[in-house]
Amino acid sequence: MKNLLKYIITRIVLTIPMIFILLTLVFVILRIMPGDPVSAMLGAHAPEEVIEQKKEELGLNKPIIAQYFDYLNQLIHFDLGESMIFKQKVSQPIKEKLPATIELTVFGMFFTLLFGVFLGAYAASKRRTGRDYTIRLYANIVYCIPVYWMGLMLQLIFGVWLKWLPIAGRVSARIMVSDFEKTGFYTLDTLLAGDFHAFGDVLLHLLLPSITLGIVLSGIFVRLTRANMLDVLRSEYILAARARGIPERRIVYKHALKNAFIPILTMMGLQFAILLAGAILTEMTFSWPGMGRLLMERIYLRDYPTIQGIIVVFALFVSLVSLFVDIIYALIDPRVKY
Amino acid sequence: MNTDKLTKGSAKDNGGNSRYASKYSVAGRVGGVFRWFISSHKKYGVEWWILIVGLLIILFISYMALFPQTLAPYSPTDQHAGPQLMPPGPGHLLGTDNLSRDILSRIIYGARTILGVAFVAAILSSLIGIPLGLFSGFIGGIIDRILSLIMDSVYSFPGLILAIAFAAMLGPGVVNITLAVSVVYIPTYFRLVRGQTLTIKEELYVEAARAIGAKRWVILGRYIFPNVIATVVVVFSLNIADAIMTEAALSYIGLGLPAGIPDWGMDLSMGKKFLPSGTWWMITFPGLMIMILALGFTMLGEGLSEILNPRLLER
Amino acid sequence: MKRFFVVLLALSLLTGMLFATGTKEKAVKTLVYGTTEKVTDMDPASAYDFHTWEIFQNIYQGLLSYPPGKTNIIPALAESYTVNSKGDVYTFKLRKGLKFTDGTPFKASAVKWSIDRVMALKGDPSWLVTDFVKSVNVVDDYTVQFNLKHPVAYFPALVATVPYFPVNPNVYPKDKLVRDPSELKGGALVGLGPYKVVSFKRDEEVVLEANPDYYGPKPKIPRIVIRYFADATTMRLALEKGEIDLAYKTLNPSDIADLSKNPKFTTYKLSGPYIRYLCFETSESVFKDKRLRKAIGALINRPEIMEKVFLNQNEPLYSMIPKGMIYHTDDFKTALGDGNIALAEKLLKEAGYSASNPLKFDLWYTPSHYGDTEVNMAEVLKAEFEKTPLVKVTLKSAEWATYKDNMHNKQMEAFLLGWYPDYIDPDDYTAAFAGTSGSAGLGIYFSDPTWDALFKKEQTNTDPKVREAVFKKIQKMWTDECMTVPIFQGNLYVFTKKNIKGVKIGPTLIFNYNALYYAQ
Repeated sequence: MKNLLKYIITRIVLTIPMIFILLTLVFVILRIMPGDPVSAMLGAHAPEEVIEQKKEELGLNKPIIAQYFDYLNQLIHFDLGESMIFKQKVSQPIKEKLPATIELTVFGMFFTLLFGVFLGAYAASKRRTGRDYTIRLYANIVYCIPVYWMGLMLQLIFGVWLKWLPIAGRVSARIMVSDFEKTGFYTLDTLLAGDFHAFGDVLLHLLLPSITLGIVLSGIFVRLTRANMLDVLRSEYILAARARGIPERRIVYKHALKNAFIPILTMMGLQFAILLAGAILTEMTFSWPGMGRLLMERIYLRDYPTIQGIIVVFALFVSLVSLFVDIIYALIDPRVKY
Repeated sequence: MNTDKLTKGSAKDNGGNSRYASKYSVAGRVGGVFRWFISSHKKYGVEWWILIVGLLIILFISYMALFPQTLAPYSPTDQHAGPQLMPPGPGHLLGTDNLSRDILSRIIYGARTILGVAFVAAILSSLIGIPLGLFSGFIGGIIDRILSLIMDSVYSFPGLILAIAFAAMLGPGVVNITLAVSVVYIPTYFRLVRGQTLTIKEELYVEAARAIGAKRWVILGRYIFPNVIATVVVVFSLNIADAIMTEAALSYIGLGLPAGIPDWGMDLSMGKKFLPSGTWWMITFPGLMIMILALGFTMLGEGLSEILNPRLLER
Repeated sequence: MKRFFVVLLALSLLTGMLFATGTKEKAVKTLVYGTTEKVTDMDPASAYDFHTWEIFQNIYQGLLSYPPGKTNIIPALAESYTVNSKGDVYTFKLRKGLKFTDGTPFKASAVKWSIDRVMALKGDPSWLVTDFVKSVNVVDDYTVQFNLKHPVAYFPALVATVPYFPVNPNVYPKDKLVRDPSELKGGALVGLGPYKVVSFKRDEEVVLEANPDYYGPKPKIPRIVIRYFADATTMRLALEKGEIDLAYKTLNPSDIADLSKNPKFTTYKLSGPYIRYLCFETSESVFKDKRLRKAIGALINRPEIMEKVFLNQNEPLYSMIPKGMIYHTDDFKTALGDGNIALAEKLLKEAGYSASNPLKFDLWYTPSHYGDTEVNMAEVLKAEFEKTPLVKVTLKSAEWATYKDNMHNKQMEAFLLGWYPDYIDPDDYTAAFAGTSGSAGLGIYFSDPTWDALFKKEQTNTDPKVREAVFKKIQKMWTDECMTVPIFQGNLYVFTKKNIKGVKIGPTLIFNYNALYYAQ
């Protein structure tokens, strides 16, 4: 127990400098952007003194080191600053758009696991057959498919040709979001409001983007699951189960899969970073009003503080998720030492 | 004792086998690979074919990149190649786009951009990451810990987001995109090489070299580096595949190249607008090419990995 | 087996929910209006964009305005006005008994307060007031007087613009510009127009309801929801699916082409005074030499651009003053023509360029501010310019923020720009580009005292014959100076479901929602 605690604490302590480095990296990157945001903000007719005054107000005239410490100071107080282009706190649009991205990511992960784990388990059970090779081929190819291309193709097939599914947005234009919006997670909100029609609509809109995300990442999970399953299927207790006459299907999907699951869990955490990156591309393709699209919009507007805030949030998310997964892994698997 | 042979000169004996402690010396390796090439299709089955297919894809697309004029029926910027928005058919195998440009020609010329950027970016990353990794792993101590920490942090961060931030900061342009993409992969090489260095550092023959007084640089250059190469080559190939995806993604979201240079990612984003009209040929082919090219390098990398060193990495 | 049934049950439940009909049918008939535009600042003293002005034109009112779809000025909040003999004092008599939607009576003091505020806060559109108005004074509760800096021929047209709209002094803060309605006292927008805002969610929706206290023609559609779309494709699909009833600004040319052919929708094609043109930096760049400007201008092939990029949905333009506006001529057509390689090469050779020493320059465009077609137009222009070996063009782009910056810093030798009218008068299309102060503000930096004198003449002279002569002369001179070269005039397209009528948008581009109605 004591060792475990020590590990957890060490791990947490190590996360701090990592986050710190990331924050510094973000700061450095964003200070070298071309394009003066102040004159863009104030308009073409603004006189020089007004521009200078605004720069002063925003602290852009201070030396870089001073700006850096201001930045760190703000972050420690959980203040992401104010947008340079709009009169709003950076945290405001982030709070508004974050649930959209999380919802997409969660459903994406769901499909990744759905496709990845089951295909991988199936492949393991049918080792060295044609089906196994096909699935392995799928796994290798799928990672090379650009996620936005897959999205566009699915939009073409299911949205334009077959007209079965919507291809943009979170909800149909006729549905008034203000009627049910509470947490920002529309699947939850519509259920809480009892509006099943809207719930169905929200799910339909989620379908294509999350499947897109899900497919492209499933390859890794197919391979991982298959490899782990192969190991597990060779182990002794499985042999014993077979000997006892338990049907093969049960052995594969109930017993073996459960034990192969732990590394899959860790992989989920590691893949989270890639999922986030994929989410940005998916959001652009499906006009999904999430953090990814917000990031791109603000990049076009040269809104430093918001861009910075978004990347900081991403960095924090990734670090925390990986920390979380490591700890869970340590709790579950007693072999881990630090 | 004649120490010359340890610090310079070839280590190969007459039989083509390496003489000295390490069976991983450069010359031995090369000879080994040759032998494998000849008999491997019998020995390695599927992996061999994967490697060959990957190689063929790469060679074909490289040809497209180097000698597009010999393949393309039109200039990629020719706005009078045919009627606007024609579906694939005779005369225009892949159709024409909204400015009446031939899509096949644009695909062929587009290979140059994506391959060029990805390749150069991979080289840049490795040129920075590998020496840093060697150095860090070898030196150890506090420098190693700090460098590792920095590299680990960057590595854990979603690569695309990093590339987006850099590309947005630097602005459009081929050079800028290449820089943005290369920054993302430096930690990959660093970690790989550092890890290998740490392992090899402990090997007996390295200790022996140290015992007879070989200088640090010599150990690094003669003993550690050559053994790292095999893994590096595999990672390099996989890295290019990844860089291709990153470059295309950057162009797709509009952070890439200025208009005028044919680019697969940009053509995809251009074609997106015509999707609801049913104009499928503008998006299908560029995306397909990105996938095929990335696949080519992936297959090369995976195939090489199985062959050079089975059960080596799970990337 | 059991598990199989459980899964089946879950799936059928899900499908059932998906197709469940909504129990909440809106009691009030709502028109859903889709657009890709964005609302900027909900403050007439600060907003300077097409869409936000459109909302103001429906929830607020000016002293004067236009009938839906027409260009003649009619009384609005002001019943009548008189002008002094010199032409620099306008006295307005206001309508009596009007109330803001929060009950505040509308008096002349509100007018003065609002104008003073616009002048003090110096927002983007404030020049429309400050360039012309010296001061405002209240004569009595229902009479207000504008004292101008000099006589202005088109002052009534100015008064009809949004910065002149009176706002409620109890609601807007005196000393700062407002962005969101939440910043207002009372948290809501309060106005005198035919509609009022009942719900505001930026970038999502704005909900409008008819204003029962409106003095003018009552709106026939009780509720309008403006839905904001991130891109044209999504909006087009929403229209096709029936999710929205009306779509306006800005669809892609391919979408417009497809929708026009679709019998389910009514297409309105409005030829509006929206123009696109090429600008040159005339003070320091290689385009100091007007021969080069003229040469490049001559190479533009407008019909080709219209066909290729816009699928013939827009009109070529041969003067900076758009067709449909008074005093418009087609001088550029006669003087330079389209794709006039001969003329261009003659001028270039005169200036010392040849095939071995071509004119090299950067052509800039901004990729999203004017719609997605911008990059295509730039590509076509480049190909047109390079039809002669004496020209070599590099395409460069910058997002709007940087683009405006570059304009100020003289970074762009040749760049594409667009213009919507502030007020309906040829002056808005000429002085803004060729007058010394306007030209500098747009990165063109053209300055010529002859031109400035001409502008002064037409601005201060109310005799239409004099103005006509001046504008005809200016347009001719333009084909020689070419500090800007007109390319095309934009048509705006509105698509509605067949049962919606009353879309009356005239050359003023004002969209009066209260003219809309459902067909029986």
